[in-house]
Amino acid sequence: MKEINTEIIPSKENDHVIEFAGYTFYTIYNTDSLKTDDIVFYDVIIIQAGDPEFTRHIITRIRGHFNPEHYLKPILLLNQSSLKDPYTNLLDGTLYSLEQIKLILPKLQNILLRIKDLTFSSSLSYEALIIQKVLSYMYSRDMEEMEPFVDFNSGIGYNYPILSVNFSRHEEHQVLNIINIMLEEKLMKKEFLDSVYLCTKCTTGYLSYREVCPKCNSSNATSQDIVHHFPCSYVGPIEDFKNQIDDALNCPKCNKTLRHIGVDYDKPSIINDCLSCGHRFQDFNVKAKCMTCKFDNEVEKLNKSSINTLSITKKGQIMSVSGYVTTSKDLQEIIGTVKLDTFRTMLKYEIERLKQTEGNSNLAVLHLKNSGEAYSTMDNELQRTMLKVLIKAIRKYLPTSSVITFYSSSTILIAINDLPLKIARRLTEEIITLMRELMETNFKNMIVTLEHEVKAVTVKLSSDLQIQQLVKDYI
Amino acid sequence: MDTIGEFISYLQALGPSKFLRVFWFFVIFEFFRYFLLDLVGLILHRVSIWTNRKRWKRAREEFKKENPLVSIIVPGKNEGKHIFKLVKSLSEQTYRNYELIIIDDGSDDNTPIICKSLLKNGLIDQFYRNEERGGKASAANLGLRFTKGKYIIHLDADCSYDNDAVEKIILPFYYDKDIGGVGGNVMVRNYKESLVTTLQAVEYFNSVGIGRIVTSQFGIYRIISGAFGAFRADVMDKIQGWDIGPGLDGDITVKIRKSGYKIHFAPEAVCLTSAPNTFKKLAKQRYRWDKSLIRFRLRKHKDILFPTQGFSIINFISFFENILYNLVLNFMWYFYFIDLIFNFPNLILHVMLTNLFLYTSMGYIKLLIFGLFRKRTNAPNYYFIPYIPLMVLYFGYFLRFVRTRAYFMELFFKASYNDPWNPLKTSIHAKEKGL
Repeated sequence: MKEINTEIIPSKENDHVIEFAGYTFYTIYNTDSLKTDDIVFYDVIIIQAGDPEFTRHIITRIRGHFNPEHYLKPILLLNQSSLKDPYTNLLDGTLYSLEQIKLILPKLQNILLRIKDLTFSSSLSYEALIIQKVLSYMYSRDMEEMEPFVDFNSGIGYNYPILSVNFSRHEEHQVLNIINIMLEEKLMKKEFLDSVYLCTKCTTGYLSYREVCPKCNSSNATSQDIVHHFPCSYVGPIEDFKNQIDDALNCPKCNKTLRHIGVDYDKPSIINDCLSCGHRFQDFNVKAKCMTCKFDNEVEKLNKSSINTLSITKKGQIMSVSGYVTTSKDLQEIIGTVKLDTFRTMLKYEIERLKQTEGNSNLAVLHLKNSGEAYSTMDNELQRTMLKVLIKAIRKYLPTSSVITFYSSSTILIAINDLPLKIARRLTEEIITLMRELMETNFKNMIVTLEHEVKAVTVKLSSDLQIQQLVKDYI
Repeated sequence: MDTIGEFISYLQALGPSKFLRVFWFFVIFEFFRYFLLDLVGLILHRVSIWTNRKRWKRAREEFKKENPLVSIIVPGKNEGKHIFKLVKSLSEQTYRNYELIIIDDGSDDNTPIICKSLLKNGLIDQFYRNEERGGKASAANLGLRFTKGKYIIHLDADCSYDNDAVEKIILPFYYDKDIGGVGGNVMVRNYKESLVTTLQAVEYFNSVGIGRIVTSQFGIYRIISGAFGAFRADVMDKIQGWDIGPGLDGDITVKIRKSGYKIHFAPEAVCLTSAPNTFKKLAKQRYRWDKSLIRFRLRKHKDILFPTQGFSIINFISFFENILYNLVLNFMWYFYFIDLIFNFPNLILHVMLTNLFLYTSMGYIKLLIFGLFRKRTNAPNYYFIPYIPLMVLYFGYFLRFVRTRAYFMELFFKASYNDPWNPLKTSIHAKEKGL
């Protein structure tokens, strides 16, 4: 049995490594290369670098990696207080001496323990992969909330710690797409924080708002008051009233000297002169020039997006442990199935039809209990192919009036219409047998756990409630 | 039956001298001035068009060749709802080289939003807004300050225009280089809306459609309507735009006349306006209009009536005719009425009936004869046939009482300076200076 160190001691084989309490800590110095491939062999990473730029780069490399053994790795920062958000949010602690490891150890142990709970499957799409990453990171750090930070360097003006690190500045708008998917899939809840306006061309948020000439878009303009002389009704720019001799204002129409604003004259508005094209106008156009791509945006056409504080839902927590495989959008593309919303609508009509005809229709649910394990052994393409084959095979057993949808990547709903419950049950069992055979053939070392249930559609309950009751045990 | 019999006997017994004695007002006012003189004027106008046809042709050619920029200015408050229709009406114009300038005089509705949107979409060329209302003259002057055209057209936002109206109103400037301003022909668009709008349509038919052809023919045309008027930009520069209203359209016409320029009426340059649709609204409008006769003819521009420097006989006649027929004869009518009561107390009913008969007959004759002189109408003449008898009550009584009140209030109380149509901050100065 290996002896556990109770003191912080340097490793004998590698001067970058220290050992403590059974864990190995790998130290990256700023003289090191930027390669971080070796970090998978150590439990915790310590960055000891005087150069903040180097530190930022290392953090980005580790947290921006797509291998969970990289991006989930606990990172500590030693002897550097100049690092600011958003990078500090990607760290698990800051140390002023190695001795402080003892203080931070319980937190590190907790992270490493929680990482072991996680299942990693190969996700169907890039979006699903990022979502899985966010969920697993949040789970491992026991984070319930992800708060965006104002960040000058962010392409959208706000940085979502574990999310934004995956994108370069000019692609950062995709963060918002991923968040939308997470919200649609009910993996996260949102609380409004702010709004951002993004360039219509490159979707970055670093914009310079300028008042420009409505004719030539130049911001080179001067403004002056319009003066209204009450006694003679002359109205014109203040330059009309100025003379060469003194500062008095004289009316060009009646030659009277203007005395008292509000009594014999007022300034009802202003007029602007463009110094580039000579155009005279009252209202500037406001344009937003993108400092990234130089495109001059019409303010009204800017893309407005909400910035929200996100908190993980129960579903999100479960998905983080079981391995998030796919988004609804990915599953919609599987031929032979319909969208869940369409399925709900069709079921609603089926209930109405049953009210008229007194016929029999049924609702079946098929659930793969260890889907995370199954998906983790396949790459994206294989997952997609497997689902297509599976649906094709199921379809052969069902009458054409049946409708199939994915409730999630591990749960399939089938509306078996116009058949008695008994026959629907038999068909479902045949499908389960088929699925089990298929899975066992493809996943030789895996014990396939398939669950199913069939219920007759009742006209007394709504379609949503019937679906909810059927799937409640599988969420 | 006895009364009718007596009335017929009365008519049969009327000799020429007795007729003149009792119906002198009709003879001087209606028959001589508004029938005979108008008829002569219309005939002369026709003859003039025919004899000067080559000159008109040359003017048209010169106008087309030069193709001058025309600046159309539309000042107003809370006119947003009319602006789009106006822009559409103008976009149909046969004359294309114009710039459209809208001036918002401190609107408190969605006018600025509408106008800014139209500006952004290129449907208007310039838009200016005064946050503080300064009155129509100041708004028009603001627009005038930023015009670039050789000719200026002043429009009201709630009007619409024949598609050749711009062309027709600018043409006279090429016919006679001394013309400084041209008035357009204003007709009632909503003549079917109510009795009062129908009666106004008949009135406009006579006083604008016919009356202005005649006064223009005799060189005494005195009011370029604010709804549709064109001006030479250099002349506007010389007279420095509009002065404080109300009645600023009549005022600017006099200013142009005083500067030595002619004023012309273009009957074929047609503008349709929405007339007030209730007697109350009409009375309010006319009360405002009628006060300006006292304010501008007798007060501000009274110098025209005296042989001072720059005296012009034609301007004198223009003023004199206006004062005689609108002011003096208006008050004379009351003397006429008193004269009848005192001298013909037993015949008063017969006289009134005869007057009704005379005015109505004259109304039909004018509708028939003058109708022949009109090239462009917005309503068929027969539509007005049933309403002609009512014109006696409308013009002879209703408008006379409104006019009398306006003259009286302006003469003795200078009521126009308190008219909310103009902001108080400007009216105070106008009153102080007697403008």
